Amino acid sequence: MNGIEKWLEKLKKAEKTCLFQDGRRKVHYTFPDKTELAEEYNIQTGELLIRKWRRKNTLGAKLPWEFEVGLNTDNQVRANENLDMTESSNNPIFSRQDTVNAFQWRIRNMIYSADNYIVEIDEQQRAIIIKTKNKKYYKKFQIPDLERIEMGLNPKNMSFSHANNTLIITYTKPTEFLSMEKIITSELSKTKASKEGDVECNPS
Amino acid sequence: MTTPSASEIKEVREITRIERIGAHSHIRGLGLDDSLEPRQVSQGMVGQKKARRAAGLILEMIKEGKIAGRAVLIAGQPGTGKTAIAMGMAQALGQDTPFTSIAGSEIFSLEMSKTEALTQAFRRSIGIRIKEETEIIEGEVVEIQIDRPASGTGAKVGKLTLKTTEMETVYDLGQKMIESLTSEKVQAGDIITIDKATGRITRLGRSFTRARDYDAMGPQTKFVQCPEGELQKRKEVVHTVTLHEIDVINSRTQGFLALFSGDTGEIKSEVRDQINAKVAEWREEGKAEIVPGVLFIDEVHMLDIECFSFLNRALESDMAPVFIMATNRGITRIRGTNYQSPHGIPIDLLDRLLIISTTPYEENEIRQILKIRCEEEDVEMSDDALTVLTKIGRETSLRYSIQLITTANLACKKRKGTEVSIDDIKRVYTLFLDEARSSEFLKEYEQNFLFSEITSSTGTEKMTVDS
Repeated sequence: MNGIEKWLEKLKKAEKTCLFQDGRRKVHYTFPDKTELAEEYNIQTGELLIRKWRRKNTLGAKLPWEFEVGLNTDNQVRANENLDMTESSNNPIFSRQDTVNAFQWRIRNMIYSADNYIVEIDEQQRAIIIKTKNKKYYKKFQIPDLERIEMGLNPKNMSFSHANNTLIITYTKPTEFLSMEKIITSELSKTKASKEGDVECNPS
Repeated sequence: MTTPSASEIKEVREITRIERIGAHSHIRGLGLDDSLEPRQVSQGMVGQKKARRAAGLILEMIKEGKIAGRAVLIAGQPGTGKTAIAMGMAQALGQDTPFTSIAGSEIFSLEMSKTEALTQAFRRSIGIRIKEETEIIEGEVVEIQIDRPASGTGAKVGKLTLKTTEMETVYDLGQKMIESLTSEKVQAGDIITIDKATGRITRLGRSFTRARDYDAMGPQTKFVQCPEGELQKRKEVVHTVTLHEIDVINSRTQGFLALFSGDTGEIKSEVRDQINAKVAEWREEGKAEIVPGVLFIDEVHMLDIECFSFLNRALESDMAPVFIMATNRGITRIRGTNYQSPHGIPIDLLDRLLIISTTPYEENEIRQILKIRCEEEDVEMSDDALTVLTKIGRETSLRYSIQLITTANLACKKRKGTEVSIDDIKRVYTLFLDEARSSEFLKEYEQNFLFSEITSSTGTEKMTVDS
């Protein structure tokens, strides 16, 4: 079984709930190990807007939602009661916002000029590395989507640009991945979705 | 218009928090040497050599961790150091062994049954050492900036800049973080880690790049490399949690209802069974290790017969901690029955116990203890005052004479003296009665007190009217 089949099989086994709301299709998966996955798609374009995970730690406590795609817009002021410290709002903010044909990451608040950035691919660890010449920012991240289907990275697919204090990294989705996405969307459209305003029970 | 003069503006001082002094705050261990022989005076412990040696043996047993469910009873008159021995054991066990200390009366509550309270206490005393992945922030401090409001009161705000060899990040600090950074004495050039889950700060050392030839530094100053890569890292750490904590995590009502349910109250036995199974699984896989701890119940005669029979059963479980009890009762009624029994504990439970007894202190021991307490409370006392106080301690009680230390010190301060003298002791001795003098006083003036006539005239008859 290759990576794509494995992932599709895992999604099939999960318990799914679907809901249309605010022009978005919201899908919630619960996997057998009680890990939760929530996705939000734009109904018109089919773009993935949010994908977030909630895992349990070893002792069984639920951890907060982890955003894979999209930005956490919840009030983060009291995100952690014990850690009385937040990253300053002037720091670079890293988020992923995909288009239909490409994975895309946006790092806002990057005030340095375009020639300051080095973006490379570590093929062994299947990770993208962002470096800065002035040693102000560094990030190493994987593409979880490709990690799940066990696919390597190709430097040819990647490009980056800098404008308006934002560094944008684009990685074109491989064709195998695009076809898998099609299968998932067609499967999801089959699941019965409740619309906003739908009431579960009939009020007499 | 009035402007505050210089003297009116409160002086702002940074103070490291002072520990409050408790009755047993001078105890730092059992005071035994390597061969478990008790030293006469050590680690805040004085005398009670036999009891301490016995406690030391039990401590060895706990440390080896092989034996579950042994029970020990410390019995002795009031003020002979029972709680002190238990505290000493707790201190000697160190941070990583769970030590739960409760009083016998604590288990009686309307919210929880007695056995539930006892079960929780038992499970609090069993630790699980387990590996867990946590997120930490590790970096070199570039700058700490703390702004105090001009008025001297109100919340402080601060900024912390951390860097690795590759990057730099600025953090906004809250009040709590500022306090812990100042108490850890973190300064620019230190390499620190911050645990994201708990907010705990650890100083790893100074950065090599900050090392200068003529810096004055202590012998324990360690130099470390500036960390590489990202500031936030995932790291596997081993830590000890108690079974009870795992129970609570897994029994909490999930979702927003948790906000309203508040405390956990009783924990379902199914949850406990699940967790026991899980822990057994972890143990087999080598992921976790069980650390049996100590449960100490003070004033154990306050437990009733139901609790005792529960304890009989609970001690047989292989997950039982070492169980230490203390009581100051002799032969007395077992609570909840009409039977008399030694220490107010049923014979069948007594049979399972190892009993350590403490004896009243000798005169020179009392003197030693008073001396230690004087040091603990920062009181200077002249030798003859100490002799007088020792005498008082012998004739009344040790606790009463310890009380007099603080009060005499205050009296001494009021007369602007530096050393507590006999006069100060005499003065507070007349001001505060000890138990014996107080009852004498009551007997003498019995007639003048409220309700005294009830007991003296009609009390006994009323009790027997309806039988």
